[in-house]
Amino acid sequence: MSIRWDAVVDRKAASHDAPAPPPRRPAGAAHLGADRVRARVRLFGALASISRQSMLEFEFRPGDSVGDVVARLGEQLGEAVLSHLLDQSGAKRRHCRLFVDGYPVEDLRSALAPTANPTEIDIILLVAPEGG
Amino acid sequence: MNVLNPQQFAGQAPASAQDDVWIPSSCSLCYGTCSILAHRVNGVVVKIEGNPDSAVGKGRLCGKGVAGIMTQYDPNRLRYPLRRTNPKKGLYEDPGWKRISWDEALDEIASVLCKLRADDPRKLVVQRTTTVTASRVPFHAFATAFGTPNFSVSGGGQHCGNGAHLISGIMHASWSVVPDFEYCNYSIFFGASKGHSAGHASCSNMGKAADARVRGMKMVVVDPICNFAAAKATEWVPLRVGTDAALALGMCNVLVNELGIFDGPYLQAKTNAPYLIGPDKLYVRDPASRKPLVWDLRAEAARPYDEVPAADAALEGEFLVADTPCRPAFACLREHLRKFTPAWAEEQSGVPAATVRRLAKEFGTEARIGSTIVVEGVTLPYRPVAAIAFRGAQGHRNSVYNFYAVDLLNHLVGAADVVGGCLGFNPTCHGHPETGKVRYVPTAGPDGLMVVGSWMGYHYPYPPPEPRLPRNLGLQDLFVIGMTSPLLDSTDRESMWERFEVPYRPEVMINFGSNLVMSIANKDAVAASLSKYKFIVSFDLFLTETSNFADIILPDCSYLESYDSRANFPFIFSLPGGLGEWCWPIRQPVLPADGEQRPFADVLLELADRIGIRADLNAAYNAWLDLQPPYRLEGDRSYSYREICDAELRNNFGAERGLDWFCRNGLIKWKKKPEEVYWRPFVDVRVPIYWEFLKPIGEKIAAIAEPRGLKIPMEYYDPLPDFLPCKSHCCDKQGFDFYGFYYRDVVHTNSFTMENPWLDEAARLDPFSYAIAINRGEAIKRGFSDGQNVWVESETGRRVRGRLKLTEGIHPEGLGFAAMCGHWTDGQPIAKGKGTFYNDLLDLDWEHVSPVNINLDLCVKVRITPAESVS
Repeated sequence: MSIRWDAVVDRKAASHDAPAPPPRRPAGAAHLGADRVRARVRLFGALASISRQSMLEFEFRPGDSVGDVVARLGEQLGEAVLSHLLDQSGAKRRHCRLFVDGYPVEDLRSALAPTANPTEIDIILLVAPEGG
Repeated sequence: MNVLNPQQFAGQAPASAQDDVWIPSSCSLCYGTCSILAHRVNGVVVKIEGNPDSAVGKGRLCGKGVAGIMTQYDPNRLRYPLRRTNPKKGLYEDPGWKRISWDEALDEIASVLCKLRADDPRKLVVQRTTTVTASRVPFHAFATAFGTPNFSVSGGGQHCGNGAHLISGIMHASWSVVPDFEYCNYSIFFGASKGHSAGHASCSNMGKAADARVRGMKMVVVDPICNFAAAKATEWVPLRVGTDAALALGMCNVLVNELGIFDGPYLQAKTNAPYLIGPDKLYVRDPASRKPLVWDLRAEAARPYDEVPAADAALEGEFLVADTPCRPAFACLREHLRKFTPAWAEEQSGVPAATVRRLAKEFGTEARIGSTIVVEGVTLPYRPVAAIAFRGAQGHRNSVYNFYAVDLLNHLVGAADVVGGCLGFNPTCHGHPETGKVRYVPTAGPDGLMVVGSWMGYHYPYPPPEPRLPRNLGLQDLFVIGMTSPLLDSTDRESMWERFEVPYRPEVMINFGSNLVMSIANKDAVAASLSKYKFIVSFDLFLTETSNFADIILPDCSYLESYDSRANFPFIFSLPGGLGEWCWPIRQPVLPADGEQRPFADVLLELADRIGIRADLNAAYNAWLDLQPPYRLEGDRSYSYREICDAELRNNFGAERGLDWFCRNGLIKWKKKPEEVYWRPFVDVRVPIYWEFLKPIGEKIAAIAEPRGLKIPMEYYDPLPDFLPCKSHCCDKQGFDFYGFYYRDVVHTNSFTMENPWLDEAARLDPFSYAIAINRGEAIKRGFSDGQNVWVESETGRRVRGRLKLTEGIHPEGLGFAAMCGHWTDGQPIAKGKGTFYNDLLDLDWEHVSPVNINLDLCVKVRITPAESVS
């Protein structure tokens, strides 16, 4: 018998579609007008200790990304803080968790959307190693 | 101030003078965390049984779980906070414990932590036992909120994890592996007791393994000792301690080069076997996309791996790509394996060459390469063979290659996460049918290789992070392949920290239930490390040997007095693999505390309030539990742990299914789908049969370490596995004839359960539990007799005393120690003086640590002498 390993399964029957994107707060009149997004960034744990700040506010244009927020954080807080968020290749470190309006964001290309209230961005560094 | 009242933890059905109820909850005598029913009569727990409604244990409960009553009602349990009055700390110093109030205790701890956090939060080390799986999130969340990266799981993690979980993660997207007991026909266990004693999903697997043996599954156990798994096996193959890789590589060579047995289509489609490797041992990459190239047989050209149909990707041959000679990774592997002849394998492992050949042939033949089977209407690949490994193969300096070599057997024949094969514990879950949570699926990462969908923590096995000058005390940010680190307590820790310019030192430790003086290595090394701390607070059920170094002891509630919304880690840890049900059980109090004990999770919440990090802790819980609106914890609001548990359950299972619902029902479950269990054909990911990423990682580590005077042996970073001997294999001192090793005793969990009277009685009835197993012939040859007291001495002069048990069921060069015995604390009078403290033989320094995954070597070459003859 010689069946192709990758031809055994009917892939159409497999339900592995990407999960639906998380619901976001309904878009409304942007607080600063339709061409601006206000983002409030809260830093927790080690990040707050390192940066000596726990809350910052920025303004962005609709379509700007979460990565733009991180870049602005780097400009304001310095490379040392940024290195805790991003690795050498510029990718978000895995143990850096980032939430936009309460929903986790892994892809820094995710766009910020105008909302009635400032977009809330929480960033926290989790302990990486585990065992057992 | 949130003042805790012990009575508030009394559970849904408060204990009363007259009641008769069965309460569903979760065991915590080991990290298997099986689901239980606790029978409470007139306010007293009279029996604990397995919960037949749950997939975690399936109604079975081991002796340890049943004996939980005796731990609960042990009169030696801690009942109120203690403070030491003797400032001098040492292994045998009396701390001079003085009873204090909770307010006094928490005030002092909060004061210390406030000052420390203002100075440098990294100076806090948080440590927990792995026995209480539910402690993971609360302590991780607290460490996260406080701002320290220094987290340890003591011996439980270091002895079990850095090889076993690494390979399971990279190759199976799970914490551990197990044969697909429902369908497997031929299994080989390398130093693993899955399904036969303790460990992940222990009770569930015991039932599954027993059913499989009745069904006719052939089970070969490769192990220096013939105990819990081997005694039930079809065949026991004794091997020299720590040589698992040698045997497995010999078998791989026979399969591929002598028998020509391998699953080509699997290797083409699901591994990096076709990726072209250049003379530098690295992938040959597409100049534009940087993707690894494969040789397209149809196009007769090199093309990026994801642009070539799997069937057209060459596994063999030599090619020239842009003037670079190269070969597919499989061809490199095949050539590499040739040196591991059966005769060589025999020389290293002691397993006869004929046995090596026979086992390889049986494994390859039984794999039925090319076959399929229909399971619940889905046609799937069928490979009813599995090779698994665990603690035995893990406890060595060479643990990475031990596991890599063993798991290659599965991948060569395509028996990975398919019907009958080697299964990860539930690497893919499509989520609860109503909410879609908890959902995770492995994904393709760099170079198309698999990234786990779920993991215990964020130090994923692949892709490894970039090595950097370390800032963690365990140096895992330099030695990035490692997860847990013995370097936090090693005798050369200070010189390592100086070498790598670590800009701070540990000052305060929060310990939860871990007896690290006994659980890591020799007591003197760990004691020296603990003595350096300025302040240690320890949550405990009993005083332990480690308590002697604590400043404050906090009496913890037991598992029968506590809540937890995730008693089991979902779902790669203790839910059994294979077909069946997804199952999420909880833990709930069966009894109120009978003293001043408080549950650790609530104590951590109160500490957070006292030191002003509640908002950070709420954010940490949101992140660790993936809480999403409207169940996220808000701002700095003071939640009880009960409320946090409630939030997690509603977040995952809907508004109606909060903690009250779970307390009534005990658990929620739903059916697994075949495409979840046998996910490999459905998910477009590959796994590495050639670990190309190791070489550059090693070079980057060397670039940091070697200018600072630490030589990195690059043979540990070769992309293909080898047998690299342990220190013990290189010992040629006269008279040191035996390899000491310890094994998990079926009636005990680490050093924790020795105090349990029922388990102690069972252990005393067992001729092996408190003895040192030695080969009968070898013992008699040297004039030793059954029951004789002896000294066991390591080549570095460490020695322990014990009683010999002569048996045919151990390799002639092996010396087997059961469990982790030898307590000396007065706080555990049942445990005191029983058995032998094996870990005291272990050296704890860089020389005994793997240079690749910082795994501590747990085998030691020893000599034995009559106890009477040594002063």
